[in-house]
Amino acid sequence: MRRALRWPALVAVLLVYPFVDRGLGLQTVHAVSDGMIYVLLALGLNIVVGYAGLLDLGYAAFFAIGAYAMGLLNSPLLGSPLYGHPWSFWLCIWLAAAMSALLGLAIGAPTLRVRGDYLAIITLGFGEIIPVAIRNLGDITLEIGGWRPIERLNLTGGENGVNPIGRPYLPGVPFETDPVPWYFLILVIGAASLWAMNRLRDSRLGRAWMAIREDETAADCTGVNPISTKLLAFALGASFSGFAGSVYAAKLQAITPGAFEFQVSIMLLCMVVLGGAGSLKGVILGGMLITIFDRVVLSQTTFFVRWIGRAVGVPALVSADLTLWRWFFFGLGLVLVMLLRPEGLAGRRVRPIVVGGDDLGDSHVEPAPAPRVDALPGWLRDRAARGGASATASILEVQGVTRRFGGVVALNEVDLVVPRGAIIGLIGPNGAGKTTFFNIVTGLIRPDAGRLVFEGASLAGLRPNAIVRRGIARTFQSIRLFPEMSVLENVLVGEHCRLGATVAGAVLRPPGVVAEELRARDRARELLAFIGLDGKAHDLARNLPYGDQRRLEIARALATEPRLLLLDEPTAGMNPRETETLTVLIGSLRRELDLTILLIEHDMEVVMGISDQITVLDYGVRIAEGSPAEIQRHPRVIEAYLGTGYEPEPHA
Amino acid sequence: MEWWEVLVQQTINGLTRGAVFALIALGYTMVYGIIELINFAHGDVFMLGLFISLSWFALLGVTKTLTGWQLVTMLPLVFLLTMLSTAILNVAIDRVAYRPLRRSTRLAPLITAIGVSFMLENVALLWKGPAPISYPDVFPSVDILREWFGIDSAIFVTTKDLLVVGATIPLMLALNYFVARTRWGKAMRATAQDRETAQAMGIDVERTILLTFFVGGALAGAAGLIQGMYYNIGQWWMGYQAGLRAFTAAVLGGIGNMPGAALGGFFIGFLSAWSDQYISARWTNAIVFSILILVLVFRPHGLLGSRPAEKV
Repeated sequence: MRRALRWPALVAVLLVYPFVDRGLGLQTVHAVSDGMIYVLLALGLNIVVGYAGLLDLGYAAFFAIGAYAMGLLNSPLLGSPLYGHPWSFWLCIWLAAAMSALLGLAIGAPTLRVRGDYLAIITLGFGEIIPVAIRNLGDITLEIGGWRPIERLNLTGGENGVNPIGRPYLPGVPFETDPVPWYFLILVIGAASLWAMNRLRDSRLGRAWMAIREDETAADCTGVNPISTKLLAFALGASFSGFAGSVYAAKLQAITPGAFEFQVSIMLLCMVVLGGAGSLKGVILGGMLITIFDRVVLSQTTFFVRWIGRAVGVPALVSADLTLWRWFFFGLGLVLVMLLRPEGLAGRRVRPIVVGGDDLGDSHVEPAPAPRVDALPGWLRDRAARGGASATASILEVQGVTRRFGGVVALNEVDLVVPRGAIIGLIGPNGAGKTTFFNIVTGLIRPDAGRLVFEGASLAGLRPNAIVRRGIARTFQSIRLFPEMSVLENVLVGEHCRLGATVAGAVLRPPGVVAEELRARDRARELLAFIGLDGKAHDLARNLPYGDQRRLEIARALATEPRLLLLDEPTAGMNPRETETLTVLIGSLRRELDLTILLIEHDMEVVMGISDQITVLDYGVRIAEGSPAEIQRHPRVIEAYLGTGYEPEPHA
Repeated sequence: MEWWEVLVQQTINGLTRGAVFALIALGYTMVYGIIELINFAHGDVFMLGLFISLSWFALLGVTKTLTGWQLVTMLPLVFLLTMLSTAILNVAIDRVAYRPLRRSTRLAPLITAIGVSFMLENVALLWKGPAPISYPDVFPSVDILREWFGIDSAIFVTTKDLLVVGATIPLMLALNYFVARTRWGKAMRATAQDRETAQAMGIDVERTILLTFFVGGALAGAAGLIQGMYYNIGQWWMGYQAGLRAFTAAVLGGIGNMPGAALGGFFIGFLSAWSDQYISARWTNAIVFSILILVLVFRPHGLLGSRPAEKV
């Protein structure tokens, strides 16, 4: 019951607050409204930093674009035809958001292939360039020789900024004289933004952002297009700052380039980091705390310190001004939060990743139940029945694939024909080129030469996520899950490329999208039940024992609805019982789903037991191909690989 | 001034600016090479180097231009003291703000680095105040062309220009020798390539990282001292600007690559001097950052660096 009361209580407080403030004569509505604008900005930044994991050090640039779009469109400065029109504010706020989003795309587009801290520096560069440009575009003179085609042209108001800016107009609402309407305007915009962000986070798009944040390569190989996903994060993050910027400009009635410097970007970053990147509640909390600290605590403490100084008689304290220290405290805050509570005030407390041994131990304690064929999700069976009608007998044809790394020829003219519905074992000593072969088939690496044809169509030049959409899924030798996402979310990311919700769909949730999302969740649960992880759907992937992580990776791959599944050492690090369970699982996937499986495996018992055919690689060359019995007798294989007798290799 | 005299003059200006950028860029690139951190506070260590050197001069009673034996004793002493101070400062920053985060995500130490940068800037602001401070003219300034060679030219080259080159080049050569030829340098290179393997080979990785911060800080201190003596002015915010330009230089040369950083420093020096002259000083920052963005987008591993493959 108390939970149910919390929301109405919050709404009531927010609605009553400005009138209480007026009644008591506190005059804090202005400051609170400004704080809410910064919180809105921080929420937009949170999409980029918290969800998509892209550190943006120049977010104030988008704020500036929003504010200047409003300022210039709704001001007499440049003679905008919109100025003075009663409805211009309501039009300009959308134009400003659109312009910020466009700038987000413009900044995002060239930088998408840049990762991590390089991306951060590029955003910082844009954050520096925008205020410089705004300052200088207020007074442009172009001189070529003695000819001046452009003389003292003013595009942005330069250092003086833009002034005045048109106010919003609503019949009977005194935006000119009263701060309270502003408060409600910002409250409505903020609440709507929060509502939209909340829905985006719980959609296919929000999951894609987080998958990119967790592991970009794995996301790409699970069918998430990193480029469009990142662009979307930039554009949406920017559009929210467009709203914030235009309200800011209209409220202040004047803007100058100084309001959008690097410090503002950092203050917003402080809000996100302090509250906990990725948590909406946390970012609101962080934003409010920093605003209160900045506007109230510093000045009040200064009074207090001065009072003590006068009482005790220390002149240094009497003249102290803590507000001068504000950026020092922001810096200190960033350092302390990162050192003491890197997940932020409201973030999930996570323990460091345990490496290796301990988790192996856990999986001995709770042996996983063997997957039952009758638990196989019906939708996967349906999919198999439909996909099986294809004409070609071989599902994948690889011809003359060659790949060099510097002087090393990792793969040399390798041919492989994979018949539909077969299990093909790929074996060879360490460094034989097996994983390189997988990387080429899944598009992570481009071959130097050779042809790859999947179901009659060439795979040349396709990015990994496009290949997943064609129907090839994979697992990784070293497990690559999305560690900070739940088990269920990991599987849902696998379904990403089979779902269709757009931004509008994710926010507005028409019945089609709601049904699609429900179906996706049902499917993911069925898949987890089949794989034996249904009790752990809401655990974080990182907290699973080793064997479960391997199986979750297979479930995630199955969720992409593949027709060809590439398993890279699926039994590595498993105990004999888990290995047996997994072998049964692989066999049933082929039998029941008509799935073709390509398998890299060092456990000879597994490979020989379930493969229809085995291909042996050695130093990048295919040295043998045949049935398990033939391979065991093959002289070159014995020489290259089994010659010294069967020795299990140490697993990484 | 003739057009070619303007060009020569601006090229000389670019050379002296570039020398300072190069010294700062080396510190960026060394730290990035070893722990893959953009040490955002590095530019502010440079700025504090200028302020600290000022205090050392004051402490040693130097208030006016040095001459004769004072020049050969006092100046090296102040260089040494300043470099030692900033080296220790840099090591302390690493200990407090970066070292606890070695096993954390890569963005965590970058965020603390920004925090430290803000703190250092504001310490300087509160220490010296918001107005630019004047730096005493400790190094003699002689118009070389006119007074030494008797050439009457519009080009102005002074002994201060010689100081910049004469201090920077030996420092770079010493650094190169240190990294390429000494045991410690070898440990640094090994740690930069593969921290875990280096550890397995018996290298004390933490001590090597400490050494890297120490050397980088010392170079930043030297750059601060040179900057102060050359321009006779210092501001609390200069570290941010200089740091970004130096970082651009490091990226341009291929971050982690030391000759590249030195080269990049000079390139950015020339570029900013020419841009000030031929375009407009107010656009120079935008131009430098555009170059930074272009390099990162089209050749993210710099002009001299090579692209490492991601292990899957």
